[in-house]
Amino acid sequence: MFTSLIMSTAVYANPAHTENFRIKTNVDNPSTLDRTVRGKITDESGDKLPGVSVVLKGTTTGTVTDTDGAYSLNTPDQGGTLIFSSVGYLSQEINVGGRTTIDIKLAADSKALSEVVVVGYGSQLKKEITGAVQTIKADEIRDMPVSQVTQKLQGKLAGVQINQTTGKPGQGMSIRIRGQLSVSAGSDPLYVIDGFPITGSIGNMNPDEIEDITILKDAASTSLYGSRAANGVVLITTKKSTNGKTNISLNAYVGTQNVPQRGLVKMLNAEEFAQFKKEYYEDQNQPVPTEFQDPSSYRGKNNDWYGALLRRAPLQSYNLTVTTNTEKSSTSVVAGVFNQQGVVLNNAYRRYSLRINNEYRVSKKVSLGFNIAPSYIFDNTPKSDGDRGTGILFNALHTWPVMPIRDASGNLTTYNTFPGSTGNIFNYPNWVRAANELVNETKKTGFLGNAYAAYSPIKGLTFKASFNTEFLAQKFYYFNPSTATYRINVPIPTTASSIRQNLQNFSWLNENTVTYNKQLGEHAFEILAGATLQKFRQEVLTVSADTYPDDRVSTPQSAINISRGNGTSSGVDQFTLSSYLSRLTYNFKGKYLFTAAIRADGSSRFGADNRWGTFPSASVGWVVSDEEFLKSVKQVSFAKIRSSYGVIGNNNIGNYTQYALVNNTVNSVFGSTVSAGAAITSLANRNLGWEKTKQFDLGLDLGLFNDRITFVYDYYTKRTSNLLYSVQIAQEAGFGNFNDNIGDIKFWGNEFSLTTRNTVGQIKWTTNANISINRNKVLALADGIDRVYGSVNITKVGQPFGQFYGLIKDGYYSSAEELKGPVVPGRSAIGVIRYKDINGDGVITNGGDQDDRTIIGNPFPKFTYGITNNVSYKNFDLSVTGSGSQGNQLYVTHLYSTANLDAVFNMVAGVKDRFRVKNNAAGVATTVITKGAGKFGASNNGGNFTGLERDWASTQFLANASYFTIKNVTLGYNIGKSNKVFKSARLYASVQQLYVFTKYWGGPNPETSGQGDGNGDGGNLSQGRDFSNYPVPRTWTVGINLNF
Amino acid sequence: MRKKIIIACFATLAFTSCQDKFLSVTPETSLSSDTFFKTQADFQQAVNAAYAPLRTIFNDRAWKLGELHSDNSYYARNKLFGAVDATENIADFAIPTANGVTANDNVLQQWRQDYLIIARTNQILSLIDKVDFDPTIKSNLKGQALFLRAFAYFELARYFGSVPLHLTPVTVRQEAALPLSKVEDIYAQIEKDSKEASTSLLAKPKQEAGRVTSGTAKMLLANLYIVQKKWAEAGTLLSDIVKSGEYSLMPNYDDAFSGTSANKNNAESVFEVQYLEGSAGYNGNLIYQMIPAPITAAELFAITGTSNPQSISGENNNIPTPDIIAAYETGDKRKDVSIAYVTLSQSLRTDKKYPYIKKFARPHSQQGNTGQNFPVYRYAEVLLFLAESLNEQGKPAEAIPYLNMVRTRAGLAATTASAQADLREAIFKERRVELAFENKRWFDIIRTDRITEIIGAYGARVKANPTAYYFPDGSVPPPNAFTVLGKYYGYPAVESALTPNF
Repeated sequence: MFTSLIMSTAVYANPAHTENFRIKTNVDNPSTLDRTVRGKITDESGDKLPGVSVVLKGTTTGTVTDTDGAYSLNTPDQGGTLIFSSVGYLSQEINVGGRTTIDIKLAADSKALSEVVVVGYGSQLKKEITGAVQTIKADEIRDMPVSQVTQKLQGKLAGVQINQTTGKPGQGMSIRIRGQLSVSAGSDPLYVIDGFPITGSIGNMNPDEIEDITILKDAASTSLYGSRAANGVVLITTKKSTNGKTNISLNAYVGTQNVPQRGLVKMLNAEEFAQFKKEYYEDQNQPVPTEFQDPSSYRGKNNDWYGALLRRAPLQSYNLTVTTNTEKSSTSVVAGVFNQQGVVLNNAYRRYSLRINNEYRVSKKVSLGFNIAPSYIFDNTPKSDGDRGTGILFNALHTWPVMPIRDASGNLTTYNTFPGSTGNIFNYPNWVRAANELVNETKKTGFLGNAYAAYSPIKGLTFKASFNTEFLAQKFYYFNPSTATYRINVPIPTTASSIRQNLQNFSWLNENTVTYNKQLGEHAFEILAGATLQKFRQEVLTVSADTYPDDRVSTPQSAINISRGNGTSSGVDQFTLSSYLSRLTYNFKGKYLFTAAIRADGSSRFGADNRWGTFPSASVGWVVSDEEFLKSVKQVSFAKIRSSYGVIGNNNIGNYTQYALVNNTVNSVFGSTVSAGAAITSLANRNLGWEKTKQFDLGLDLGLFNDRITFVYDYYTKRTSNLLYSVQIAQEAGFGNFNDNIGDIKFWGNEFSLTTRNTVGQIKWTTNANISINRNKVLALADGIDRVYGSVNITKVGQPFGQFYGLIKDGYYSSAEELKGPVVPGRSAIGVIRYKDINGDGVITNGGDQDDRTIIGNPFPKFTYGITNNVSYKNFDLSVTGSGSQGNQLYVTHLYSTANLDAVFNMVAGVKDRFRVKNNAAGVATTVITKGAGKFGASNNGGNFTGLERDWASTQFLANASYFTIKNVTLGYNIGKSNKVFKSARLYASVQQLYVFTKYWGGPNPETSGQGDGNGDGGNLSQGRDFSNYPVPRTWTVGINLNF
Repeated sequence: MRKKIIIACFATLAFTSCQDKFLSVTPETSLSSDTFFKTQADFQQAVNAAYAPLRTIFNDRAWKLGELHSDNSYYARNKLFGAVDATENIADFAIPTANGVTANDNVLQQWRQDYLIIARTNQILSLIDKVDFDPTIKSNLKGQALFLRAFAYFELARYFGSVPLHLTPVTVRQEAALPLSKVEDIYAQIEKDSKEASTSLLAKPKQEAGRVTSGTAKMLLANLYIVQKKWAEAGTLLSDIVKSGEYSLMPNYDDAFSGTSANKNNAESVFEVQYLEGSAGYNGNLIYQMIPAPITAAELFAITGTSNPQSISGENNNIPTPDIIAAYETGDKRKDVSIAYVTLSQSLRTDKKYPYIKKFARPHSQQGNTGQNFPVYRYAEVLLFLAESLNEQGKPAEAIPYLNMVRTRAGLAATTASAQADLREAIFKERRVELAFENKRWFDIIRTDRITEIIGAYGARVKANPTAYYFPDGSVPPPNAFTVLGKYYGYPAVESALTPNF
């Protein structure tokens, strides 16, 4: 009999005994099991221990003790060894011999090391792992009211930087393992759900389906994923049924979200704006427009456009989990409903999901499994994010606060046209209408399916074949009626337009593996070999139409134009991957550990002449604490030194980058006839390959004072070469880029994790803390190229990747004398920003390689850290999680508009204290009125002078983005023991994103980054830009867990 | 079939032939270079694609580099609006240029579009002789490719002087950047290509309307000779064009220019860049870049007559200068065809009146979507070039009739000039008004070496009287206006960063 080992419901019933331990079912090997062994497990004080796992060593046969601490397990006639383990206790191995009853007392304290951890293509005792891996169990991240599991991981993982770049429900999580990045090949890790490497992200997965998450960080752990492993691998295991009983549990929470005032950009109010405008004209000796002659007339009539887009919004989540387990089969079902209204108007996110995991034990040698997970997601998101006129939040920030949101009768205005004489050159549509009236919805129907069969002809030998499918049907519908627009300066009524996009993804994976494990005396072996085939296909059809006679009908056929030249298209994307993999695991006495693994990947993405890649790795470990000389040192309960080296790849290089594509839509017109035209639009590179990363890891796992303190340290260094880079070439070639493998980046870092069980009596207090220090340096780019520019960044040999690049602000010119120094010819004047003459040529220039720009800042943190405290007392438990980042900067993009001294936009409140200078009769700024606070220059003479401060990237735009955020606080209360209605119940209250400690002044979210929403022009080359994305809300919830 | 392959793969996972099939995934939605350039139709399409960059060049760049950068047009300063520095710099002769390199985007885009034409034609010319098909069709296709390559190099040579000379397709990164070739070498290649084109191409009556013809190639070659002051060679070619009888002046100057859909490629047209009104994506929007702004929807409607007029903010360019307006002789019919006036209620100028280029403002139906072709070579210019080449050969008497043909249509009396020097000036002036806003002025100034004389004086006038040049009261040109008076534009900085050669 095989029993999958999990007891998630017990987690809630007995938080002190969190034993959601399971064995990965990838490799199943039932063998002949004839004798039943029974027993009771207690702790050292004799209290019964439920949820202790009992496993027949060398197999995946096992069970879990029930609430009375009792177990029964079928074992082979010839005996064998049973492993008893439970989180928080030292595991024990007992030789069964001829016994049928084995009662065990488990010693407390061996917190982490007896766990079994899911690794690639199998599982291992944590004690014996030689790679750098970290596992998060579901109960460590329970009760956090967020839509995405990645949000729950913030602050929990060493070496993994997780940022929430936008507050949009279901979107915008950036995860980067060990600082890995690439010029253009993507930095997202590979996600593997129950052994299936999926092609998408896990952003839309119901977090409640997840049992545990294992992050594979070093090459030894990831190399079995070969050409996809360089960015790290995230293994997700979904809930499987636990013990022999049927468990039903309901988890429900409801809550409300709002945007904290802290961090919102402080803008001029209507009166202050009018005052600014008045001074603007006065300083230039020009008549003040009537509208601004009396700023006080706007007192109390402020229009807070940004605030008008925000609201308090509810969210709710319901999950029902049912698990059953019989002798022949086990089933677990998770059904979830998640409904979140966004804090931006008209934003809604709803998810309906179901997961059914089934396993059938057909015979003693054969088992079959079927897992299916359908989901449906509805998402309507206003065009909230995006810079320079493309996101309504950004636009709202710089809309004049004197422009009415509502007219005298309380209706929303349509289009705010202050007269041109007031300097209003960018007329403003009403953003509230944009939020409410534009449709921007996505409906996703997803399906993950998995079927497998395992056959175990003899002990220790298992054949397994699995077939996995991933399906996504996504319908996107965008409609911009004539009454609103998200873009600035588009008159209303505007031309109504629509986009409809149908996307379909289908991916299948077949994996065939054989595993053999054998214990020979003190030598333990496991050998794995396998072959896999995977295929992905995506089909997209997009229809763009515009000019609708009637806003009420938005179908393409109702439009006057089907917009052929602009967004009506269809596409097909495919890739295939064929792989062989093998791993040997060996240990001697359980203390000298060795693992070697290799994978060969053949990929359709690689150039025809460079089709196969091989990715080997090896790792060793030494459990020092098992040595005699350390056994006497009682303070050290566990010590292991491990090291690994391996080669892994990154194949996120696009599907057809090796080909020179012929674009057959480069048509021409002759007379009134359109004639088909075709041109080669890219250059071929048949040698194009994957990026290669060589990684070395050295780690130490330490348990002290009976594991009251556990400590994990890792040092890594890795070198990514053959970076896929679309090298810019001189366009005299007729092409802009050549896809090539060039360059070298070195990464290195230190990771520390510390867990201390501070008190273990009635009050149990545990602290987990981690800190990660990641560094990188570009060692080489292409021959002849030693720097690549991003939008406000530079990637330069000898420097870290993507450094901020621009001019250094050196105050403001305040006298004619100072204007004799280095100036911008024709543009520098009194009150105008002054930059440092870095190249010392006497003039300030911006552009080219020999100008005055220099590296001005770093988008990468010096270190990131997280800390979690768990305290329980009697029936109460409290958990507080925080995460932080130190030493990184952000480029505050909105200053381009909101500190634009032309006064064509509303501005940040700080401009009140700007430099002021009065023009003389000839229109030249001569008389200094005030030098202000030194933060903003004078507003005289429009764009020609003020444009420098606005247009040229400089230190003016950089802000310290260090932060520490209290991500989550949860307080729970367990309502006693079983009663007639339920076995256990728990009430909790939770706050997400409680408070952000930061000096960042550029906006509410110091975690943001231009890449989060695809708005980063230049991808990784343009790191760290704040585009005024959707703020991250603070969420308050109350919830209940019931187990029946 | 595909399924069978997959099944076979499962069965024989280890066999490489099966692996290769499984792993060969070619793009389904576009052709790749392996399969293209195999048939006549492929080359036909490739030639069509080689024309495509001309739409961008003439809609977005040529008028900036060739007309705004002269005394014919300027910008209408809106001092609240500071976002078009790159274009203002061109009009102000203040393009920041250091070490022969400029960051001006217009210069960059012109460069790139010309080299796009060159790359596409190189691709065609390197492969077309290897494929067997109808020789007449092949000859006509080759002629078009040769012409387009020569045309692109002619633009480059006149904008930049020495430029890299690419004559074969680039296939790898290392071949992308070539050293600068001397302008004489570029001219020699233009001469060779356009000569061959003039014999390969079909004549206008046989050619599909809108494509280049043997006459167009001759005109290009003649234009080159005129720049090189090879007057006799130019004269012969231009006489050929006149004698061919394939071209004539439209009786009415206004009809020389295409409408948004009518009167395209008319009898006077030697070559026009073709646009098509509508949503297919081949339209232009030239007038929207030139109409003075800020303009209200109603003010714009009066000019464009569209069904969906919308206001335009900011400022715009290519506003006819007082100088060009004054250059028209009294009674010149071309003046009112070329230039009209609009009053902008939102203007910050006391006098809210601005001229705009009327000959490019033909009524059309949708805002921002015009189908008017842009004239590259007209028969009127053939006549003026012929007059010029004859005069320069010391035959003013033979030249005068050709000049007068152009003047007569304009409603003007015969020229009073008779001596060579006077006639030279008369032709120069005639070209200015006849070809106003057709991007000829800057090239005329540089080929006659009159930059300092003409632009210097023009700059002084602008600075002395900014309000006459559309500055609002109290606004003046930037201090560095009219300080960069070189014959050539600086090389684009972005390209400079990608090549070791400049």
